[in-house]
Amino acid sequence: MARDAISEESMPVLEARGLAKSFGPVEVLSDIDLALYPGEVHAIIGENGAGKSTLMKLMAGHLAPSRGSISLEGETLRFSGPVDAEKRGIVLVHQEILLAPHRTVAQNIFLGRELKRGFLTRDGEMNRLAAAALSDLGAEIDPRAVVASLSIAKRQLVQIARALQVPHKAVIFDEPTAALTPFETEALLKVIRDLRDRGIAVLYISHRLPEVGAIADRVTVLRDGRRVTTRSAEGLEPVEMARLMVGRDVSQLYPERHVRAGREMLLSVENFEVPGLAANISFTLHRGEILGFAGLIGAGRTELMEGIVGLRPSHGTLRIKDRPTRFSSADQSMKAGIVYLSEDRKGKGLLLDKTLATNLTLATLSRFTRGPMVDGRRENAALDKAFTDFDIRARRRSLLAGQLSGGNQQKLLLAKMMLADPKIVIIDEPTRGIDIGTKEQIYRFIAELAEAGKGVIVVSSEMQELIGICERIIVMRGGRMAGEVTGEAMTEDEIVMRATGVESVEEIEGAMHA
Amino acid sequence: MSEETVARPGETRSFGQRLRETDLAGIAPFVALALLMVLGYVVNENFLSVNNLLNVATRCSFIAIIAVGATFVISAGGLDLSVGSMTAFVAGIMILFMNGGYMADGVGLVAVAILVAIGTGALSGLLNGTVTTLGRIEPFIVTLGTMAIFRSVTVWLADGGSIAISSSTMRSYLRPIYTGEILGLPVPVWIILAVGLVGAFVLYKTPFGRHVLAVGSNEEVARYSGVSVSRVRALTYVIQGVCVAIAVVVYVPRLGASTTTTGLLWELQAITAVVIGGTALRGGVGRIWGSICGAFMLEIVGNIMVLSNFVSEYLIGAVQGAIIIVAMLMQRSLMRKG
Amino acid sequence: MRRSLMVGLAAALALSAAVPWASAQDNEKKDYTIGVSVPAADHGWTGGVVYHAEREAKILEKKYPGLKVMVKTSPNGADQANALEDMTVQGIDALVTLPQNSDELTDPVREVKDKGIFVTVVDRALSDDSIHDLYVAGNNYGLGHVAGEYMKKNLGKANVVVIRGLPITIDEERQKGFNDAIKGSDIKVLDRQYGNWSRDDAFKVMQDFLTKYQNIDAVWCQDDDMAVGVLEAIKQAGRQDGIKMVVGGAGMKDMIKRVADGDKMVPVDVLYPPSMVATAMDLTAAHLYDQAPVRGKFILDATLVTKDNAMEYYFKDSPF
Repeated sequence: MARDAISEESMPVLEARGLAKSFGPVEVLSDIDLALYPGEVHAIIGENGAGKSTLMKLMAGHLAPSRGSISLEGETLRFSGPVDAEKRGIVLVHQEILLAPHRTVAQNIFLGRELKRGFLTRDGEMNRLAAAALSDLGAEIDPRAVVASLSIAKRQLVQIARALQVPHKAVIFDEPTAALTPFETEALLKVIRDLRDRGIAVLYISHRLPEVGAIADRVTVLRDGRRVTTRSAEGLEPVEMARLMVGRDVSQLYPERHVRAGREMLLSVENFEVPGLAANISFTLHRGEILGFAGLIGAGRTELMEGIVGLRPSHGTLRIKDRPTRFSSADQSMKAGIVYLSEDRKGKGLLLDKTLATNLTLATLSRFTRGPMVDGRRENAALDKAFTDFDIRARRRSLLAGQLSGGNQQKLLLAKMMLADPKIVIIDEPTRGIDIGTKEQIYRFIAELAEAGKGVIVVSSEMQELIGICERIIVMRGGRMAGEVTGEAMTEDEIVMRATGVESVEEIEGAMHA
Repeated sequence: MSEETVARPGETRSFGQRLRETDLAGIAPFVALALLMVLGYVVNENFLSVNNLLNVATRCSFIAIIAVGATFVISAGGLDLSVGSMTAFVAGIMILFMNGGYMADGVGLVAVAILVAIGTGALSGLLNGTVTTLGRIEPFIVTLGTMAIFRSVTVWLADGGSIAISSSTMRSYLRPIYTGEILGLPVPVWIILAVGLVGAFVLYKTPFGRHVLAVGSNEEVARYSGVSVSRVRALTYVIQGVCVAIAVVVYVPRLGASTTTTGLLWELQAITAVVIGGTALRGGVGRIWGSICGAFMLEIVGNIMVLSNFVSEYLIGAVQGAIIIVAMLMQRSLMRKG
Repeated sequence: MRRSLMVGLAAALALSAAVPWASAQDNEKKDYTIGVSVPAADHGWTGGVVYHAEREAKILEKKYPGLKVMVKTSPNGADQANALEDMTVQGIDALVTLPQNSDELTDPVREVKDKGIFVTVVDRALSDDSIHDLYVAGNNYGLGHVAGEYMKKNLGKANVVVIRGLPITIDEERQKGFNDAIKGSDIKVLDRQYGNWSRDDAFKVMQDFLTKYQNIDAVWCQDDDMAVGVLEAIKQAGRQDGIKMVVGGAGMKDMIKRVADGDKMVPVDVLYPPSMVATAMDLTAAHLYDQAPVRGKFILDATLVTKDNAMEYYFKDSPF
């Protein structure tokens, strides 16, 4: 299966030589050599900012290179744009879902290239072809369904089906699994393997390393805009990939766990309900504990947490240190010592067009006043402290929050919420879109919070991360609690079983191929 | 690219850095204003006479004061189309109160009438604010509705005509508010400055102002940060109402009446002034002094047109429109550099 | 007063709704209904029209027992067209209308006419002259002409500034009358600008005129609402001594009062009375009841109001 024996004589479909790209005076990509052969899955890995996206955009004609050349089946050429590249058989599957949400699946798949008879569209034919294309991908999706009614994973598949409608020699996947659950990821990887087996060249960009190990034949590592190495994926362990990406040893990604027993209860939730989204939820959180919430996307984890902190209407019992409470706004829960860090950092966590100091103090502004005024000096002092405490790296103090990298945004959000001096911290998807070096720091912060006696709830779709930092993991499915795992039972299989409701691993695989 | 140097605590910035960080977008309307003044001088030398400039500054006071309120509403992501007819309504109530004979004529009545006006304005704003926030209705629709309500209630109160101050002694007590001068500057200009100062203080220096900008920048982030979005939004409409009332207090002394044309299309002028002043209609940014400058510019454009000899009276509207667009273009090009 | 008016109007409407049935049964046709459709009060003059229409309705109903008059106001042309349809459905024997504008309302009024209803048009003529049975109007040309004549006679050599209304026919006719009257005289028009028939706008324009011209002898602003703003601007600039007169038009009660009181700045006013709607209603009722052959055009004089005759034109209760 592995293609370490790709013959050197066979012609690469797509080849880059000395490729470089500058934006203004900054060269973000330098001297990249890359060859993509038919029938191989070639993974590109690297931290955020390493140049993965830029490389991909160059290969798919979205950007023109500053230096170097691209050749297609031996012929050196310049793409005039993405449409040109697509015509020549190079297809890009975007990370974001770029579909018209209120149109049907088939309409989206054929958007801009509708089949017509005279002035009339051939809807029946398009629906039939769409259904066939989707079932080729192993997906049972009604071509007449409206895209908005589909799950993220299914939309992703529709998007892939759309991309593959044109004749293709090479397909580029940009972080295709970022929004997918493990189950859906597995299905997608199968689709990619099928493409490969049909002789298509696949360029696969991801920073989920175990997944790369599972799918790739060869791996190219980028760091700071340069190619570090290209080697066979066989025998390349995730830890080694991480070392190549970061440039140092990161074997200790998760901090040491100190489990302490017999602790005071901070929060107890009984028979809690967020109407229509989560019901029948009961759990407790103790001092110094890190409690994980696992589940598929749409399992109601985020909504449950939003209900607890008063951002959504809810019923049920909530006790903080045995005192019954109820919140109708984030302000109230914050005053009671609970903070919630949204998974949607850009949409709900930070004001991207405001300065770092403004963001830092937004939730606790009443503490930064002198008379009726906001005290700029105290704000600045708080920002200095946040810079050191949370290792926020910003070129200038006057930057806007939107100009920070994802990791620094997350650290700023942490710093902002810690100003409220909470006893209970709920963090939703703490490392989404964050590179591995920063992940390590975030995990350390979380561990430190627990050690300082706070109760921490971590909601995450990355099971490895929950297993790595939590003492207990509650699994949710369809808005209900589907079980709790702890100690030795904290394995991906155990979590997936509860999250999907399927009893055994064999059954999962069975379900996948059905 | 991925290299980010850490900003050091207490670092000092070079002059160049400071210049780069200077808010060019904030200066742009004033640059446009200066260019307009040059144009005015070219058109007619009298334009730059102290008298003319003070006339224009005084005349623009209604729109300028209302625009300060509109800056709050718009930077919180709202919109108030009712300010024009609210002006007529508040003016009508104020005059009817003075005509009502509840108190003897005198300075005392003037003071109470002003309080009545401000109370009416604040309540009118509160109406807009609560309906938009509690009713969860687009402010465009709500204030379009209240615009019609204020207007027709005013016409009803006026029996189809105008509401005029009946007592000539009261008119003479009020008149100095519009025509008087303090230290050589007309009273309305002082009032603009005072409203601007208070507005800028509230928007830029207080936690409430921060919350206004946060709500306008991203309502969800504000809500997730524990800011009461409805309360903040509703209060911006109250501020708008109070500003309308202050404008009324300046307006009523001038002609002594609320007529069916009072405040007509002022909502559009106020919104235009705010936008020319550099406040984005999508919210999150508010420029108090820019809005005042914008109101001044609008008035100057009209003034230049009348003072000029080479534009047919039929084409004045077209030239005014063109000047506003050109001013906006200049401002946008400055912003891009910033 | 307002409340009694409202009640009276409501009663009139309620009764008139029942009338068609009654009149259909009564072959002698002593019961008639007159529909009156006028623009809503969007500025002082139209406010006056509404006032006079409602006042005259009561007078006529008293004078002719069995007559019902329904007055409807409409804020724009489309609404007025709807109002006309509604009135036709309710059953009217005659229509008195002051159209919002000529072009939009010509066809809706024609449809009323085609139902055999007597049509009286007031002030603004329709695009088709053959529709109306009776046309009652003020004299726009005359309004300008009388003002021009007065200035020519009383000023001799003078610099005059003109504040126009809005660019529509009425304004053009008034300008033409004024221009014709001063032709060949020593009166020089320094400038003309639009004041949009608004006090506030007229105030601004006048203020700018005062900046622009040091010698202004007189102002013609062809509308009394605008004259209020003009007078205020002059007063504020302290230029009362330089400017000899401000001539407006229409017959607003405040201006008539000033003329009567002998205000030096406002020696005269020129009538273009909103009460013309009352005249039209009066003539229409006379047609229905007295079988008098009232057809054709009735153009009211643009009467010059002076200190001597001012009190004849002063309506204390009118809003205008």
